[in-house]
Amino acid sequence: MTLELAVRLAEIILGFAIFQQSLEFVRGLQPEKTLGFIRAGLAILLMLGLQPLLVESALLVTAVILIRRFQGPYNGGSDTMTVLVLLCLWLSHVAPTRYWQEIALGYLAVQLILSYFQSGWVKVVSPEWRSGSALQQVFALSAYPVSENARLWAGRPQVLRAMSWSVMVFELLFPLALLNQILLIVALGIAALFHLANACLFGLNRFFWIWPAAFPVIVWFQSRMAQVF
Amino acid sequence: MIKLLLPILFPSWRFFSCIGPSPRIEVGFAVDKNSAPQEWLPFRPSPKKINFPLGLQQLFHNPLWNERLYINTCTEHLFEGYSEFREREIGQRLVVAVLNKEIVVDGAFHYLVFRIRALEVEAGQVRDDVVFVSRHFALLDAGDKQ
Repeated sequence: MTLELAVRLAEIILGFAIFQQSLEFVRGLQPEKTLGFIRAGLAILLMLGLQPLLVESALLVTAVILIRRFQGPYNGGSDTMTVLVLLCLWLSHVAPTRYWQEIALGYLAVQLILSYFQSGWVKVVSPEWRSGSALQQVFALSAYPVSENARLWAGRPQVLRAMSWSVMVFELLFPLALLNQILLIVALGIAALFHLANACLFGLNRFFWIWPAAFPVIVWFQSRMAQVF
Repeated sequence: MIKLLLPILFPSWRFFSCIGPSPRIEVGFAVDKNSAPQEWLPFRPSPKKINFPLGLQQLFHNPLWNERLYINTCTEHLFEGYSEFREREIGQRLVVAVLNKEIVVDGAFHYLVFRIRALEVEAGQVRDDVVFVSRHFALLDAGDKQ
């Protein structure tokens, strides 16, 4: 995949993710309600590919206003990933040379890899995660399960142990997917299913839309790495 | 501002690294600023189940749930120490929930109070402690709108 195509595809998916996030604000409180309308409009322009540098600049300004408004991200990791993707795409437009464009997008690819690997590492070093009891507590006690029926998973410790290990093994092995493009595409498919499961079980719908925005960039990154090594 | 931006530009991806106390928000109502609520109601309790069409819709649009997650973030900040900003953020959103008739309240009540319970597993037992009780938030005319 060429750098230009990766940027364009990432902008389309990012635009959709920001549009989805913004619509969730428009029935809320001020000033996020007004910012939601503004960002929804900008997201449409981003999807259409009109003036991407200007649009991304405006989206970055509104993102900073929202971070200040909420004294941090509104929706934790999904907002963090939104700003990271946005910033790296913006940097790819303002970069003076091809080298700096690649550095900006490479940073995003590395952060995507870390988002899985580090997340797997902090789990695998925890005895509670290795035994499955951490996931059992998430289902039994945490505020995340979307329904009382979803909480019933807490009563199936063997299944949760298998689920915990599946998640940890996938997250820890994710960097190895860079070795081969087919392997990477399979890994990204599994990642998308993982985010879908998180959306269905824990209501983390924003993660499902924003993480794939970085997928085209990592596909480009893998092909670039293959050229170098 | 730099302190807010740095963790976003150089993030630490430690999702569910440890399972801390889990917050539960409850709302109560009072007739005046000096009285305490007699009853506590869970805020936005989870439904029994979510069917496929609703689940699909919520994949695209789920503002109430994401607001609930934001409120949880605010409660976790309150676990770490008192913050007038976080208390106000939660209180304002609960008052709006009353104004929107999501929570039905008797017209005699003029103030809303919320409390946070923390659920935690300790030595195999579930601990359930009230860790925070808010100040009184005026309901304005919410009571007349039921």
